[in-house]
Amino acid sequence: MEYKLKIEQTDFSVEVIDQHDRQLNLRLGDGVYEVEYEVVADHWIHMAVNVSGRTGLVNAWVMDGSEGKIIVINGRTYTVQDLDQLTRRVPKGRGANLPDQITPPMPAVVVAVPVAEGERVKKGQAVMVVSAMKMETTLCAPFDGVVAKINATVNDKVAPGQILVEITKDTDLTEDPAGGTNS
Amino acid sequence: MFTKILVANRGEIALRVMRTCREMGIASVAVYSDADRKALHTLNADQALYLGASEPAASYLDIEKIIQAARECGAQAVHPGYGFLAENAAFAERCEQEGLVFIGPPSRVIQSLGDKTTAREIMRRGGVPIIPGMIKAESHMDILTAEARQLGYPVLIKAAAGGGGKGMRVVQSETELPDACRQAAAEAQAAFGSGAIYLEKYLKRPRHVEFQILADAHGNVVHLMERECSIQRRHQKIIEETPSPAMTTELRESMGRAAVEAARASGYINAGTVEFLLDEDDNYYFLEVNTRLQVEHPITEMILGMDLVRQQIRIAAGEPLGFTQADIVSRGHAIECRIYGEDPENGFMPSPGKIHFLKEPVGPGIRNDCGVYSGFEVPVEYDPILSKLIVWAEDRDQAIARMRGALSQYIILGVKTPIAFLMEVLASEPFQRGETFTDFIATHFNNWRQPLDEAALAALAYIIYEMAGQRRKKGMVSELAEPNSPWLQLGNWRL
Repeated sequence: MEYKLKIEQTDFSVEVIDQHDRQLNLRLGDGVYEVEYEVVADHWIHMAVNVSGRTGLVNAWVMDGSEGKIIVINGRTYTVQDLDQLTRRVPKGRGANLPDQITPPMPAVVVAVPVAEGERVKKGQAVMVVSAMKMETTLCAPFDGVVAKINATVNDKVAPGQILVEITKDTDLTEDPAGGTNS
Repeated sequence: MFTKILVANRGEIALRVMRTCREMGIASVAVYSDADRKALHTLNADQALYLGASEPAASYLDIEKIIQAARECGAQAVHPGYGFLAENAAFAERCEQEGLVFIGPPSRVIQSLGDKTTAREIMRRGGVPIIPGMIKAESHMDILTAEARQLGYPVLIKAAAGGGGKGMRVVQSETELPDACRQAAAEAQAAFGSGAIYLEKYLKRPRHVEFQILADAHGNVVHLMERECSIQRRHQKIIEETPSPAMTTELRESMGRAAVEAARASGYINAGTVEFLLDEDDNYYFLEVNTRLQVEHPITEMILGMDLVRQQIRIAAGEPLGFTQADIVSRGHAIECRIYGEDPENGFMPSPGKIHFLKEPVGPGIRNDCGVYSGFEVPVEYDPILSKLIVWAEDRDQAIARMRGALSQYIILGVKTPIAFLMEVLASEPFQRGETFTDFIATHFNNWRQPLDEAALAALAYIIYEMAGQRRKKGMVSELAEPNSPWLQLGNWRL
């Protein structure tokens, strides 16, 4: 059995060579890892790892997150994704003709909407100001265009992925698919 | 002494105040908003009163609601913590009018020192060195532009009513100035209810060194030594320590004397902090007086063996200090790391959300002032501080080692935290050499990414958890759990 894992921007291909009760032999890169493990409690596993003659004990804390598993080891936190599951879950690339997205970078509250529907905006112009934990972030138009729709008003709670302002792009201008966040 | 104190705050600081109240035999009353119905401070008080909606203006910043709550529960005093109304002179005045003791300085002192430009003027007249800059707030863009030109870029925008880095912006050039002023004013308006801003010359490579002071109502003033708070992101401190690596006995005497003079000049009563910028030639400049308990007060408590909240309450009740400057003796070294819900790999953006799992570090000399728990939803409405991790040890090197160990056993699942980042800062040579300047993070840790040299272990853990997950569903986890096995306590190992 083989896992194709992704940690940050790095891919890890892990082959399960052998598996017994609470024991695993895995091939990862050039190394063969012999691992004995215990599930200590919810979220907590303990591993005795042997690789190339080096051995050691490792505590790991794990939870299932929306983008994969969140794993903490030695004070560092990793988001580990299974590429096979990822391709199943996420629909293939967005259509090029969809409007670029103006969405908050984190859960936030809308504090100002400086534009109105139908208004012409310039690239880089502020179209929404959100606040999270007392820090303000200005979301800007990613290109020149016309505000087609505004989906949030002042004091609304908004989340990443939620499209706050839809802008119809001026077609005669050069393309700029970059997002519009500018704090 | 009081028998009941209302704590007009939330999170870790509300809990910290309540702990001392309990030790002193004083009942504590929490106030809470919709978002904080299940917050620790609400759950741990002797009494909890509902204020209103989650947004601060409808709850923790609503002066009349808090006064009403204090009357309703029969509290004799109000502790404001830090942030929210802690430096709001109007609130202190309302307390005074209602016959409630405000645990902090008199409203007139908050008024004069809370306005940073007035405070600068007081210090200038008192002979305390100040940073070149405007002496009053300004909203007119033309005047701000002219002032900035005269000071020379880079300049620093500051909120006149400010503190804690809110409403503060470094501006490198004139083109950035209008936007930065607008944002700073808006942030200041949201945080302090006043959008007044002013400009200061931006000093390069200074240290932020502050002195804790205590003043009673009988004319006794002492300083409780310094705290070095140079490690900052977005002008907000994230690591503080005491003593300062830059401090000498002579400099401490000189700055301490200036701090005490600043307190006397302003008629200060209760606990306060005089902040200075210290340059590489040991010149120091008055920055501001924080007329409240500081976030980082625990490190002072650790090296002095003193409970600052208890001192605040005693002073507010009219008791004399009962000790003098000569009695202030410190021992060892203390460091605090602020554990915010934020993402150090993404500009320290706030990361609110639900905490799915929390394991706090323990051990000799470790203190964690924590306001969250497993299952708690960190609200988006408030400051993203989750806890403050504080260590004490006999010297600086040992304190750094102790903090690194404590951070490595601090497990928070569900929100992003700077724990790995803080560990690397503490492990870095410049930090270990004590080269802590306010540009530290920008200089040494700009666009920091967590190293992936141990990521293979995370890959192993992923697969094991997947497999164990299947087994868990079969109900085998209880048989596997042996938390007291000595095999589990053999310590960490690194690849």
